[in-house]
Amino acid sequence: MKPRPATGRRIVNGVVGVLATASALMGILALAWIFWGVLSRGVGALNIDFFTRLPNPPGVPGGGLANAIIGTLAMTGLATLLAVPVGLMAGVFLSEFGQKSRLAEQSRFAANVLMGMPSIIIGVFAYAILVLPRGRFSGYAGAVALGIIMLPVVARTAEDMLRLLPNTLREAGLALGAPTWKVTLAILFRAAKPGLLTGILLAVARVSGETAPLLFTALNSPYWVSSLAGPTPNLTVTIFNFAMSPYPDWQQMAWGASLLITCGVLALNLAARFFLGEKHS
Amino acid sequence: MKTTTMAFPYPVALDPSLALETAVPAVYAEAPMGPKIIARQVSFFYREHQALFDNDLEIHRHKVTAIIGPSGCGKSTHIRIYNRIYELYGDQRATGEVLLDGGNILDPATDLMELRRRVGMIFQKPTPFPMSVFENVAFGLRLHYKLSKGEMADRVEEALGKAALWDEVKDILRQPGTALSGGQQQRLCIARALAVEPEVLLMDEPTSAIDPIATAKIEELIHTLKESYSIVIVTHNMQQAARVSDFTAFFFQGRIIEFGDTRKIFTNPSNKRTEEYITGRFG
Repeated sequence: MKPRPATGRRIVNGVVGVLATASALMGILALAWIFWGVLSRGVGALNIDFFTRLPNPPGVPGGGLANAIIGTLAMTGLATLLAVPVGLMAGVFLSEFGQKSRLAEQSRFAANVLMGMPSIIIGVFAYAILVLPRGRFSGYAGAVALGIIMLPVVARTAEDMLRLLPNTLREAGLALGAPTWKVTLAILFRAAKPGLLTGILLAVARVSGETAPLLFTALNSPYWVSSLAGPTPNLTVTIFNFAMSPYPDWQQMAWGASLLITCGVLALNLAARFFLGEKHS
Repeated sequence: MKTTTMAFPYPVALDPSLALETAVPAVYAEAPMGPKIIARQVSFFYREHQALFDNDLEIHRHKVTAIIGPSGCGKSTHIRIYNRIYELYGDQRATGEVLLDGGNILDPATDLMELRRRVGMIFQKPTPFPMSVFENVAFGLRLHYKLSKGEMADRVEEALGKAALWDEVKDILRQPGTALSGGQQQRLCIARALAVEPEVLLMDEPTSAIDPIATAKIEELIHTLKESYSIVIVTHNMQQAARVSDFTAFFFQGRIIEFGDTRKIFTNPSNKRTEEYITGRFG
């Protein structure tokens, strides 16, 4: 039997290779394009005032988004404080205690569904349980909504990172007489630290650009943040409002806020990569 | 540090006052006669699959017992019953009796923390924890004892000394345990196990992942350790079994084919399969 000529095979291989490379480049191109667009238009808005002053009314030049920056940081921070301990513990349950139990299977399924849940629905949920009964928009409700979005991301990455650890490490801890919780917190958490940190950073990155859940909860405000009990200024809803406005000053401010968030997300991702890289070295 | 129950392991001597009244000789109470561990009719199951069949074995005090046999014959499975480490996996179970100083450790009421303090384990691959050399040893101590800072330092030094590692690590106690060489890591694990004052040491192919020189050091160490501990070592290396052990058990397909004095097993085995394995005709 005569073997098939290699020419056809080589051509197909070449075509698939080119298509795959082109698709990968498109992803990078899209990111570069967005980054360039935001950078070129937003960089003009960034000055000292942007970080230190309140927004001015339309038509009055100057002003800044200091209040929104603080509000976003406060709500994201509170959301992180709420979601990280619960998420880590849920991950511990899934990986160490529950494993293949029914409760674990159901929690895992629930976490997956929650991860795919449109964030606007989580916003409406927080609105229904926290805003409506109290008759008031609040930064607390915003933080809870963001926390709910972070929760499954932290839980699932924590589970995955703990599962990657070899069982020999668990056995070594247990063989010394340590109970499971001690092995998990004192040994496994240490061994999985880079992965766990990465998961937390990616979860923060995931919510730092969320707008829809905040529209229903924190709303927005042109004033300084005195407490999270009332409407709370934040960058994303500010972008939404300002970008839709007919005033060039505000539009410029929205570009600046977009640039800030983009850089923040980029920095979080780079930090996540750094931690993971440290693990592999 | 030792509590009364540890010094009087037999039920009759659990209460020291009772021991005096019944006039149990102190020597007897301190060093009970008979095997340290007696396994009776032990079977083991991975789900439905039976891996061990009616194992009867005696582990003698202050002796080294080697367990040999071809891959998959159940050597490791057998010793993993002695500290019930298999329970990490929900789908494995053991039946029969394993008597440690007369108490059945397979009894569900057994305190696993205390059992694993008394029965230490060394694994095939060195498993240093992701913390400093000092903390690796202190970890087990903290679990079982309340010690002052000074006492802790003393006990860590003592344990590293017993594992013949102190001189090599005394200046790098704050460095991560994972930075040591493979042989040093394994001795660190031995030090960690010794720190909590075990009575039995289970070694599951402790030298199969390290180089010959480090192996020699560990074998030498086993020789000194048997003065204070009852040791069980699983090994693939028959020269090693012959060198370090006093007794040898030959496992085949989940059954104990032959058990006895190491010299006899290696020079004049009673069973044909033992002879075939030892002379390298299979396995």
